[in-house]
Amino acid sequence: MSQALESVQQASLSTVYWIPIYTLLSGMASVFWSPAGFRRTGPRPAGYINIVTAGVGFVHSLLALTAIWGEPAQEISVNWLTVSDLQLILPLEYSSQTIGAISTITGLNILAQLYAVGYLEMDWGWARFYASISLFEAGMCALALFNSLFFSYVILEILTLGTYLLVGIWFNQSLVVTGARDAFLTKRVGDLILLMAVVALWPLAGTWHYGDLATWADQASVAPLTLTLLGLALMSGPLGKCAQFPLHLWLDEAMEGPLPASILRNAVVVGTGAWVLIKVQPVLALSPVASAAVVWVGATTAVGATLVAIAQIDLKRALSYSVSAYMGLVFIAVGTGHTDTALLLMFTYAVSMALLVMSTGTIIWSNITQDVTQMGGVWARRPISGLAFLVGAAGLVGLPPLGGFWALLRLLTDLWTDHPLLVGVVLLVNALTTLSLARLFGLVFMGQPHAMMARSPEVLWPMVVPMTVLSGVVLHVPMILNQASALPDWAMLEKPFVLLLLWSCLLGGGIGGVLYIGKLTPRPIRLFWPQLQKAFANDLYTAEIYRGTIILAVNQVSRLVNWFDRIFVDGAVNGVGLATLFGGQTLKYNNTGAGQFYLLSIVIGVTLLILALAYPLLS
Amino acid sequence: MPLEFFLLLAAALFCIGIYGLVTSRNAVRVLMSVELLLNAVNLNLVSFSNYLDGANIRGQVFTVFVITVAAAEAAVGLAIILAIYRSRDTIDMEQFNLLKW
Repeated sequence: MSQALESVQQASLSTVYWIPIYTLLSGMASVFWSPAGFRRTGPRPAGYINIVTAGVGFVHSLLALTAIWGEPAQEISVNWLTVSDLQLILPLEYSSQTIGAISTITGLNILAQLYAVGYLEMDWGWARFYASISLFEAGMCALALFNSLFFSYVILEILTLGTYLLVGIWFNQSLVVTGARDAFLTKRVGDLILLMAVVALWPLAGTWHYGDLATWADQASVAPLTLTLLGLALMSGPLGKCAQFPLHLWLDEAMEGPLPASILRNAVVVGTGAWVLIKVQPVLALSPVASAAVVWVGATTAVGATLVAIAQIDLKRALSYSVSAYMGLVFIAVGTGHTDTALLLMFTYAVSMALLVMSTGTIIWSNITQDVTQMGGVWARRPISGLAFLVGAAGLVGLPPLGGFWALLRLLTDLWTDHPLLVGVVLLVNALTTLSLARLFGLVFMGQPHAMMARSPEVLWPMVVPMTVLSGVVLHVPMILNQASALPDWAMLEKPFVLLLLWSCLLGGGIGGVLYIGKLTPRPIRLFWPQLQKAFANDLYTAEIYRGTIILAVNQVSRLVNWFDRIFVDGAVNGVGLATLFGGQTLKYNNTGAGQFYLLSIVIGVTLLILALAYPLLS
Repeated sequence: MPLEFFLLLAAALFCIGIYGLVTSRNAVRVLMSVELLLNAVNLNLVSFSNYLDGANIRGQVFTVFVITVAAAEAAVGLAIILAIYRSRDTIDMEQFNLLKW
C-alpha cells in the first residue's frame, strides 16, 4: 500500500509541469461557454471545469510536495530555441520551495474560484472571468517552476496582459477602462526596465539561470556603476509588479475589477514580482546602492501605503494599500538579504490577505456599497464574516501565535544587528496596519448600522465555505510552519522582539478600537490637520503627480512629434507634389497659342544649340 | 569681294526675315518674311556655288528648286490665310491664339 502511494508521489513529482498546462487548457476550454459561443445553456460550466482543474492541480502539487519534502531540489531543462550561439534553455526546478508555492497558488485559486461561483451569481461573463483567472493560475505556477530570469520575464509580461484583461472584465464602466489601462501601462513600464536588466545581464554573466547567476555573483568583478544600474533595473520590474512607490497607483485602480480576482491579485499576483526579486537577490547584493534602493523603496512604501490605507473610505482600496505595504516589507527583507524571511512573509501574508478580501467581499456583495462611512453594526448578524475578518487581520499583523507574528518576528531578528532603524519601520508599519484593520472592523462591524446596512443577510454557501476554509488555514499556519521547521526554537526566541511586536499590535489596535469602536470621538473623524488627511485620502495626489510629470511630458512630446510629422515630414513629400503641380499650372502659359511665339522659341532654341556646339570652336 | 561678304549679307537678310516673321501682326507680312528667309538661303546657295563649285554649279540648281518650292509654298500659305480670313474676318496674328494652354 505504502509502496503504491510512493510510486504515485514520484509520478506526480515527475509530472509537476503538467499543472500549469492543464489549468491553461481548462482556461481555454472555458471560452466555449462565452455568450457568443454557447447561446443556449449559460456560462456556469466554464466555472465548474476550472474549479475541478484547480482542484486536480492542488492535489497533484500536494502529492508532489510530499515526494520532494526534505529531498534535494531536482532540475530538468528543455531546449526552447537555439539561434546561432544563443541557446535558450528552459530549466524547471522541482524543490519543496517551488512546489510549495504551487500548492499555495492552486489552493488559493480553488477558494477564489469557488468564491466567484457565489459572487458572480448574477453575472453572465463567467467564460472570460474563469479563462483569465486560469491564465493567471497557469502563469504563476509556471513562474514558480521556471528557474530562469528570461522565462520569468516572459511569464511576468503574460501576467501583465492577464491583469489588463481581468481588471477590464466589466469594460462598460469607464473607471474600469482607465483602471485596466493604468494597471497595464504601469506594470509594463516596470517590466520593460526589467527587460533592460535581463538583456544587460547576458554579456556579463552569460546565463539567465538563477542558480548560475548566484554562482556568477559570488566571484563577479564588474564595475560598480554597471552593477548599480543593473540592480536598479532588476528592482524596477518587481517594483511595478508589487505596487511599490512610485508605481503603486495601478493597484488602487485595479480594485475596479471583480472582487474574486482581487482575492487572487492581492494575495498572490503582486507576489510574482517579489518572487523574481527574491530569485535575483544574489545579483542585487553585488551592489550596495541597489540593495539600499530596494530597502528604501520598501520602507517608504510600507509606511506611506499604510498611512494612505488608514485614510481610505473605500473598503477594497483600504485593503489594497495594505497589500503595497506588506510587499514593501518583503522588499525590506530582500534588500537586506533575507530571502527566506521574505518567502515566509509572502506565504503568511498571502493567506491572511486573501481571507481579508474574501470577508470584505461578502459585505460588499450583500450591501452594495463599498463606502465604509455607510457601513456599521453587522457584527451580531454577520458573525462568520466578522470572525473571518478578525482571523485574517490577526494572521496578517504580528499577533501571536498566528503566521504574521512569526514572519515579522523573524524579520525583526534579521534586521536588528545591521539595520536597527528598519526594526522601527517594521514595528511602525505593524502598528499602523493593526490600526487600519481595527478601523475597518470598527466601521464595518461595530457601531450603529447605516441605512445601507439595515438589512444585511449572510451570503450564500459558495462564498462562506472558501472563507471559513481559509480561516482554518490561517489558524493552522503556525502548524504548517512548524512542519516546515520555519519556526524558531522556543529557547532561542528573542523575547524583546516578541514584546515589541505584541505592544505595537496592541497599541495600533487599541488606538483603532478607541477611535472607531468607542463612542468618544465624533464621526466622521477629523484629523488635527485636514490637509494632511485629505492628502492621505487622495493617495498623496499620485494621480495628479503622474498627470503633471510623466503623462504631461509624454503627451507634449507626442503632440510635438505628431505636429512635426504632419508639418515637416508630410509637408516635404506634399511639397514635391505641390511644386510639380505649381510647375505644371504655371509652365502651361508657355503655350501662348501664338504661332509666332512658337517660331521665336524654335529660333532661340536653335541659336542656343548652335552656340553650344560652336562654343569650343570659338574659344 | 570675298565669299564671307555674301554670306554675311545672306545672314543679315535671314535675321531680318526672322525678325519680321516673329513680330509681324499681319499674316501676309509673315509670309513675306518667309520669302525673305528663302531668298537669304538662295543667296547662300548661289554664292557657295559661285565660289566653291564653279565647275558644276550644283548650288544654282538647288536655288531653282528652292524658288519653285517657295512659290508653291506661298500659294498654299495665301490659301490658308484666305481660309482663316473667311471664318474669322481678320488676318491679325494676335487673334489666332485659340490653341493655348
